Amino acid sequence: MTDLIPLTALGAVDARTARFGALTLTEDDSLGLASLTLRKGQAAPTPFGLTLPEVGAMTTSGPYGAFWTGANQWMIIGAGQGTGDFAALVHAEAPNASITEQTDGFAAFHITSAAGPDLIPALMAKLVNLPPAAYAPGHATRTGLEHMTVFVLRPSDTQISVIGMRSYAASLWHAISVAAARLEHVPV
Amino acid sequence: MTRLSGGLIDRKAPLGFTFNGKTYQGFQGDTLASALLANGVQLVGRSFKYHRPRGIFTAGSEEPNALVTLRSGARAEPNTRATVAELFAGLEARSQNHIGPLEHDLMAVNDLLSPFFAAGFYYKTFMWPRAFWERLYEPAIRRAAGLGALSTLPDPDTYDKGFLHCDLLVIGGGATGLSAALTAARAGAEVILADEDFRFGGRLLAESDLLDGAPATDWVDRTCAELAAMPNVRLMPRTTVFGTYDHGIFGAVQRVADHLPDPTGQVRQTLWRITAKRSVLAAGAIERHIPFADNDRPGIMLAGAMRAYANRWAAAPVRKSGDPVAIFTNGDDGHRTALDLLAKGVPVLGVIDTRPAVAAFGAYQVFSGGTVTGTKGRHGLTAIEITRNGQSSWHNVGALGVAGGWNPNVHLASHHRGRPVWDNDLLAFVPGADGPKGMFPAGAARGKGGTHAALTDGMEMAIAALSDIGVSASPIALPDTPDTPAKQSAYWYVPAKKRAWVDFQNDVTVKDITLSHTENMRSVEHLKRWTTLGMATDQGKTSNISALAVMADLTGATIPETGTTIFRPPYTGVSLSVLGGGDTGHHFRPRRLTPTHHWATAQGAEFTEVGQWMRASYFPRAGETHWRQSVDREVLTVRHDVGLCDVTTLGKIDVQGADAAEFLNRIYSNMMGTLKVGMVRYGLMLREDGHLYDDGTCARLGVDHFVVTTTTANAGAVYRNMEFAHQCLWPELDVQLISTTDAWAQIAVAGPKSRALLQRIVDGFDLSNEAFPFMACAELTICGGLRARLFRISFSGELAYEIAVPARYGHALMERLMHVGADLGATPYGTEALAVLRIEKGHAAGAELNGQTTALMLGLGKMVSPKKDSIGAVMSRREGLAQERRRLVGLMPVEPQSQIPAGSHLFTKGTTQNMETDQGWVTSSCYSPYLNSYIALGFLEDGDTRMGEVITAANPLEGQSFEAKVVPTHFVDPEGGRLRD
Repeated sequence: MTDLIPLTALGAVDARTARFGALTLTEDDSLGLASLTLRKGQAAPTPFGLTLPEVGAMTTSGPYGAFWTGANQWMIIGAGQGTGDFAALVHAEAPNASITEQTDGFAAFHITSAAGPDLIPALMAKLVNLPPAAYAPGHATRTGLEHMTVFVLRPSDTQISVIGMRSYAASLWHAISVAAARLEHVPV
Repeated sequence: MTRLSGGLIDRKAPLGFTFNGKTYQGFQGDTLASALLANGVQLVGRSFKYHRPRGIFTAGSEEPNALVTLRSGARAEPNTRATVAELFAGLEARSQNHIGPLEHDLMAVNDLLSPFFAAGFYYKTFMWPRAFWERLYEPAIRRAAGLGALSTLPDPDTYDKGFLHCDLLVIGGGATGLSAALTAARAGAEVILADEDFRFGGRLLAESDLLDGAPATDWVDRTCAELAAMPNVRLMPRTTVFGTYDHGIFGAVQRVADHLPDPTGQVRQTLWRITAKRSVLAAGAIERHIPFADNDRPGIMLAGAMRAYANRWAAAPVRKSGDPVAIFTNGDDGHRTALDLLAKGVPVLGVIDTRPAVAAFGAYQVFSGGTVTGTKGRHGLTAIEITRNGQSSWHNVGALGVAGGWNPNVHLASHHRGRPVWDNDLLAFVPGADGPKGMFPAGAARGKGGTHAALTDGMEMAIAALSDIGVSASPIALPDTPDTPAKQSAYWYVPAKKRAWVDFQNDVTVKDITLSHTENMRSVEHLKRWTTLGMATDQGKTSNISALAVMADLTGATIPETGTTIFRPPYTGVSLSVLGGGDTGHHFRPRRLTPTHHWATAQGAEFTEVGQWMRASYFPRAGETHWRQSVDREVLTVRHDVGLCDVTTLGKIDVQGADAAEFLNRIYSNMMGTLKVGMVRYGLMLREDGHLYDDGTCARLGVDHFVVTTTTANAGAVYRNMEFAHQCLWPELDVQLISTTDAWAQIAVAGPKSRALLQRIVDGFDLSNEAFPFMACAELTICGGLRARLFRISFSGELAYEIAVPARYGHALMERLMHVGADLGATPYGTEALAVLRIEKGHAAGAELNGQTTALMLGLGKMVSPKKDSIGAVMSRREGLAQERRRLVGLMPVEPQSQIPAGSHLFTKGTTQNMETDQGWVTSSCYSPYLNSYIALGFLEDGDTRMGEVITAANPLEGQSFEAKVVPTHFVDPEGGRLRD
């Protein structure tokens, strides 16, 4: 084990979390990410038992998940795999595909609502140009947020995750937290 | 007070406000305009050009006259229409465009000089002498122009933006819009209903029509309550849909806090981008006036507005209660105003109707076949001259309503160059068939303006719009109201010797139009520009059609033959702050931070923006008072010891696949497929036209695994181009691409002691020159097991490496390198030192790869391999590029302490300096602390054969000229021994 101390995308030792009324915004630095792209003619593998999803969708299997990112390309995610060599694990699961380490390419933020699902579209309407159906539970979409490219994942009706480029983490946090703060006192 | 009974104001909620410092009282539900009228205030401003006294002309967003400044201090907002400003407690308003008090404007002298300010005044007057334009005329015109003034203080408010999607966007919440929204909502469609007013109902609030035998507000309130309770409906009052854009996209501004006494802590306005599958344009109609002599006095207003003030706001438009009101009309509509005023107890002098033999609809006098031919009253109307059958007589009145017919509000329907078409029955333009795709004009907006017609049309258009997207909607039960279609008539203006205003906001009269015609400005577009008609902020909502009619009269043509004017976004003014989206300062756009950003900040680094990245430009130390001191020190540290620089920003693209090598052979101009595993090669990319595009290194980590490095600036573009090549040009190749720029923190470790420093952190990796030579690369572990990538590459010309670790460890790695390298002199360096080092070494960067240069010019012609094809290779050999004679050279100023500015032009010494003798330019320039001299790089004709020649570098912009010796580009270690040691 290295003795170097990692920092989160927001530049602190501990992941940041903030509450805005019923909304909680959490930085997640424990997520392992690796892209999986099929080689020419290759059939889709099932890493960690995941069925690689169709366009705009995500799937999960235990601590692992996958979402569509491009033609024959998916992002594989592993909860709790942030500091290890997650790409190597994915490669072992899908040895014939092209795997690229992406864990530190991105910053992940989870937004949870303690006041039911209605707050989620109210928040997202201020952030992304998508109809709510595009981020319904089970969906994963690549879109723009304040001129940054992000993935929007909806694991459940009261949670939505925004995964953006790591270098933009501070700007992403700013954008999401400003929008969330403006909903703090808005009755749903 | 001229307040009447009834109205939709809350008399239990009085609101104090001030106008020009004087305190007045209105009620909740008032606009500033209605509250002023209820207080007997008619004079509210001065006109743009002639500084004529002006009053309130309309009751809506089409207002051309009543423009005031709202609030004070930093929140002062000039040119706000009093007719749409919702009254709140403590509202402060001031009139504009006058010197001295509003009643005694010193600039009113302009009115006496009006013969000089005729159409085309600027074009005729300020033509000569030519030299006067910039220094005298333009500043003077700019001072005189405009109405209100900006506070010039920073905007204290916050703004928001957002995105909405719906099946049906209903624009306008009057009879048509409410009927359309209810029909669509009951069908289950996702509906957005937006109205610029703070209360839904549109003209239903302004008219006395009954719905189902009850006041119309009963039905409006019931409908709004039903809509508000439906989850598929979003009601947006105070929301102006200001523009129609491509693909069913609309811009809208929601005024969130403009009506609040203290908006502190609230978002002031929200900019919404609405994507609608279909839209119903229920924007209603705008009444037109009838120009006649001196028709611009305060107290003269549109007759429909007069009804609105009486019915909705319980305000009589006169200065003194009991003053009689007259109506001037060319149709039945004016008579409705007379009836409604009488019902409210306002004395009516009578209705002057241009039609012959018209009977009264009630107990008032009708002046059939009459016209208004003159007015009196300095600060407000006191009398009108009525002319019938050649006989004129003066009558005392306190206000005059003018009813010239109604124009469908086609504004939003003409945003896609949708041209309105003339409806000869209606005598008005209606939206044409070529309007914005998916937009269904309905109700008064397409000439179906009676209440019954509007309700029915709103419902039918909603059904049609939804049917278009496969949603089945059923007719709804509409309230019962009589079907009373009103016929419009073609009486456009009263000919007069005196001025008769057509466009009030820009002070354009019938005379101006006549003069334009005389001066041969016969196209409507020429007329507009010559007279500025319709070019004020109201876009001529109340004037365009009248102007066309006057023009048609002059030419003898019909109105549609004369021309059509269309409208552009925005429908009404939109503040730049809300268009800005809310964030200002450094949040105005997103920023990218490097993994060592916080570390660099803690070291006191100065930062520079590189694209969206923030990069440390230098690290000042105590005692250093000038940036050059810091940069010189950092450069010398790299030359003598070891320096550390975060180079994470360079683009990194992971390329895998069985055909990765072949793919890169086609992307790079030089051979990349022959690169051995574990080695790095410098590569050039060309544009399709053969010019240089980007450069960088390519590392081969495995037989079918490469990492391509790009410049910071081109990281996104190169990746995009590679995706295009992969997906569109050579889809048959087995290649997988993905960016990994952010995933790895990459630190350059440069200087003679770099190997010694790295040796202290690698986990037993052999860094010797034999095991890990120049241009080697490897995957390894450092600091006790952290996976890393090491590249032996050098931008500085020294022994150097770049080491990459997962980004989260970048900060810690930098600290570790600084800590364990303290005795070696390890020092961070920024982009300034990076630039000096690469210029000293003669390495190209953005200034040399500026899109106009070629591999040949860089002396790298051999890097365009003839053994294979690659993007741009063939075009790089074309005539013109192949014969290019300019070459990159080094330049040493003869006087070492003289800096040759980048951009200077190069000439043979002693020649005349002009375009013909120009021999190239200086690309990069810096002070070299290593050579104790300024140095530069530049492209010079035949530069490679002119070593030792002294040439002239000239900067004619600042009258500078320098002598410089042509030298090789490598100022440092020309043999390249250091980086191979």
